[in-house]
Amino acid sequence: MNPIAEITGHKEIIVCAGAGGVGKTTTAAAIAVRAAAEGKKTAVVTIDPARRLASSLGLKELSNEPTLVSKRKFAAAGLDLKGELHALMLDTKSTFDEVVLRYAPTEQQARRIIANRFYRNISGTLSGTQEYMAMEKLYELHAGGAYDLIVIDTPPTRNALDFLDAPRRLTDFLESRVLRWFLLPYVKAGGGFMRFANVAAVAFLRVVKRIVGGSVLDDTAEFFANLDGMYDGFKARARDVAALLQSEAASFVVITSPAEESVLEATYFASRLNEAHLAFGALVVNRVHPRFGDGSGATPRQQARLASGDEAARRLAQLLDNEASFMRIVRLEDKNLKALARKVPRHRWVHVPYLEREAVDLDGLAVIAAHLFA
Amino acid sequence: MNPDMSVDELLNPRIHIVCGKGGVGKTTVSAALALVAARHGRKVCVVEVDRKGSLPKLFGAKSPSYEPSELSPGVWGLNVLQEDALAEYLNVQYHMQRISRVLTSSHFVDYITIAAPGLKDILVLGKIWYLEQDRSADGKHYDFDTIIVDAPAAGHMIAFLSAPMGLSDAVQVGPIRRQSDWLVEMLQDTARTVAHVVAMAEEMPVAETIATSEALHDRLHIAQGAAFVNGLYPKIVGASAERAVEDDSEARDGLIRAGALVNLTLDDGDLDALADYARFLSSRRKIQARHLRALRKGIDQPILNLPFLFSSGIALPEIEMLADDIEQQALEL
Repeated sequence: MNPIAEITGHKEIIVCAGAGGVGKTTTAAAIAVRAAAEGKKTAVVTIDPARRLASSLGLKELSNEPTLVSKRKFAAAGLDLKGELHALMLDTKSTFDEVVLRYAPTEQQARRIIANRFYRNISGTLSGTQEYMAMEKLYELHAGGAYDLIVIDTPPTRNALDFLDAPRRLTDFLESRVLRWFLLPYVKAGGGFMRFANVAAVAFLRVVKRIVGGSVLDDTAEFFANLDGMYDGFKARARDVAALLQSEAASFVVITSPAEESVLEATYFASRLNEAHLAFGALVVNRVHPRFGDGSGATPRQQARLASGDEAARRLAQLLDNEASFMRIVRLEDKNLKALARKVPRHRWVHVPYLEREAVDLDGLAVIAAHLFA
Repeated sequence: MNPDMSVDELLNPRIHIVCGKGGVGKTTVSAALALVAARHGRKVCVVEVDRKGSLPKLFGAKSPSYEPSELSPGVWGLNVLQEDALAEYLNVQYHMQRISRVLTSSHFVDYITIAAPGLKDILVLGKIWYLEQDRSADGKHYDFDTIIVDAPAAGHMIAFLSAPMGLSDAVQVGPIRRQSDWLVEMLQDTARTVAHVVAMAEEMPVAETIATSEALHDRLHIAQGAAFVNGLYPKIVGASAERAVEDDSEARDGLIRAGALVNLTLDDGDLDALADYARFLSSRRKIQARHLRALRKGIDQPILNLPFLFSSGIALPEIEMLADDIEQQALEL
């Protein structure tokens, strides 16, 4: 059975992962369009701030809350819609605010954290935060129980690890012993330089104060003071999110192009999924150059003679030259994909060829879906 | 008239910042531009910022370090990791090597990143400033004629370049604030710095390139160089050859006869394959041409077309080819 069809039929969560620019968002959207058409109440979540998903679904814009794609739009694209399709775009900052509101003992304390400048900087700058919030949003949507299937793409991470380790990275940071060693004396002393702190910490604080200014240290102190007592909640939630991703409900789709760099990333990602006890559902190989005929071609000698011949011969030389160029790419892609096949069994693969049209609307997504579910 | 006039124009300021979204081939363009500069007698340094360091691989050289090393004759490279720039700054300015193990721990680097967003970017740009001033932070002497910066991917690029401009929540106090002013002067001086953009002829990369180009010009006030478009399918097949493999049986017979003259036996299957490849190439070329038109409409700078490489990977010979293309098109600018 086609692996994409299989997981779409049985799973509640599909996570699309892969290197940047290989078509994660489009793949996620195409899977969601097909699942919705076939009767599932589906949500598609994108991390990509570009408006591409919105416009391909015929929507003006997306927000952190689900927007329904109307039946009319499906009908206009000639698609019968038996289920529902909702689309969201992750807003890291507001999702983080929701998390803080949930775990703060009082709303007042939550508001103090949300207004804190150090906190505001975290969601924009600490790498891994976006990934964590994506998983948080996924958990919340799943727990709400409103959807049969949630399809989500992942940020274009430089490194697959970023995404898998994100929740732990954030909680580790918030609990960091190094930071506490440096910052706690400052926190305890209420912002003044402390008498009992160690010498290195004092030297460090002086430098940090000179570099970033005292007000930033005050913000930090206030942030960590307000965060006290919330770690357990954070950690428990991070554990729940991890457990959900490792459960029977979730499956991962790895997307790659046949180019060497993205194949390496996909291979690595597939092995990391295994180590992390996450279910690998399917591998989508996108944008493979087409192969026609047996590519036997001409010898260089024949080519040279054709190129210096009459008009028909010169035409043939051009055509053979063109074919030979493609054959070089075909052989290279074959080599890359063979290496991939040693790590990921071919029966989990799905091919989406280089298409003549781009998926800029529901029609286009349906065409991609036809390949994904073929 | 000097025939290399326009190549010199292309290479004019010393600092070239190469910008573009991830996966469009910024590093390849940086390397090709470096070769062009080296061919014209310049000593070049390519600066990779916080990346895996794929540049030396293109030149078949060893992995880069924080100090420049020669990758190929006339072309030097270095990889500036933000963590290294931060550690160097703290060591040189505050003699903090004593606790440097702690300072380079990931939690501390995370802390500084959050506490002072933009600081690491400023320090990386500071490293480039030192290169331009012909010295390193620890007093070593450099003499690069051309400095090419392989900028971080688009998402981070604007934040990276705007960090010293105080547009973001960046560092607002202390010595760093003053040092940032030198960086702004460097970036906004058209005689010192130019920014090139790299794109692919696809919908998203074109849209992002137009946005990047606008941001560079309107918000960052950095001089605009060229736009490089990577991966364009070349015109291998002429129109008459394309027509010959369509349904015209007379033309197909002509091809079969031409093949027979050089002992090449072609059956219908072979001709169909030739036709399919020709059709595929021409349909991809049409799609690319449409996106190129959109790019041309959206930006003011000259566009340099770089070909899709039908080769088994990208290494020095391919970079040489791209450098040829850049030189040739620079002459026509």
